[in-house]
Amino acid sequence: MDQIYIPKKRNGLVTGSYVVISALKIRGKVEKPYFYNVKDIEPLKLEMINEMREVIENNIENYDNVLFVGSFLDKRFNFNDIDIILISDDKVNIKELQRNIWRIAKIKIHIIVLSSKELIKGLSTDPWYLMMLSKYISKKRFIYNVKREINYKILDLHLLKSKGLSDNFDILKGNEKYYLVRNMVAILLFLEGKKIGVNIVDKKIEKFFKVKIENIKENMLEKKRFLNKYKEVYTRVFNEIMKGIKNGSKQK
Amino acid sequence: MVQNRNKLIELFVGNLSNSIVHEILERAVSFKWLVDKYDKEMLNSLVIAKKYREKINPVKSCLSYSDAIEIRVKIINKVRNELRLRISKGYDGIDLNLIEELVDKYLRDMKVIE
Repeated sequence: MDQIYIPKKRNGLVTGSYVVISALKIRGKVEKPYFYNVKDIEPLKLEMINEMREVIENNIENYDNVLFVGSFLDKRFNFNDIDIILISDDKVNIKELQRNIWRIAKIKIHIIVLSSKELIKGLSTDPWYLMMLSKYISKKRFIYNVKREINYKILDLHLLKSKGLSDNFDILKGNEKYYLVRNMVAILLFLEGKKIGVNIVDKKIEKFFKVKIENIKENMLEKKRFLNKYKEVYTRVFNEIMKGIKNGSKQK
Repeated sequence: MVQNRNKLIELFVGNLSNSIVHEILERAVSFKWLVDKYDKEMLNSLVIAKKYREKINPVKSCLSYSDAIEIRVKIINKVRNELRLRISKGYDGIDLNLIEELVDKYLRDMKVIE
């Protein structure tokens, strides 16, 4: 029989205690992540990122990069799940990966798997991709330089999501209103060829609506004034998209 | 907030119409996968329409014939107008034949019609 020695003078483990002996799991060295537009982040979140990266590393054979994006990177803990972009040319079993991350790290994730080509296409045609990548923590640096390509049909589809804000104003939560306003303003900036990022869009919203982002998120809005402006901006964006569709069809 | 039945029906019609327009336009878009990749089911008109339906009596059985017909006609007209507006601007690939099929499908799912 083998023996295990423990110090005679110790805290806890009194004689007769039941113990479990198991091998010490030595953590593999996790490379330092790359931060883009993230000035500081709570140590606990960084620990969560490292745990998720370890699970991904152990589960996915070939992938190029992994990027943590979205509200998880904002200050405080106001997020529902963690958004992850996994860049890989191979097919990935997303459900299994989600399950494994949940099993090991107890973290709910929303994962998007894209090839580099798909991601570049998204960044050139879709404001949402630009918003997502305006702030991230990743395995390694992700460099992209894309030429903006306007697909009016895609923008129309996105804008349609924001259409319901005026009708549903009374039942929507602050965060939901913020999401719909942000969607609309991001489309507007995209159409105007302006730079897009969460902070830039937030500043534009504050300027347009003369209201702090926090007030939108906390649902503290002056309904009439807010909706008047909202309808005005929505109509402007919608007309711009329709104009684009009209011009596009003429060129064919 | 207490809302009267007519207002609830109006909101239900608006949201369900929006959702159907979205579904038909999705089929006309060539890079739909771009949207699919990140579209979480967090907030969409269909979810909101379901919430309104749950507030319109009778909740557990279908609506009266006259209510159901009125709702059906309103949704079909709203969706058709939205899509025709786009077609008039030169939007191609929109299939108007899908309207009635989708309206009936969702109204059945939400126990508005049998």
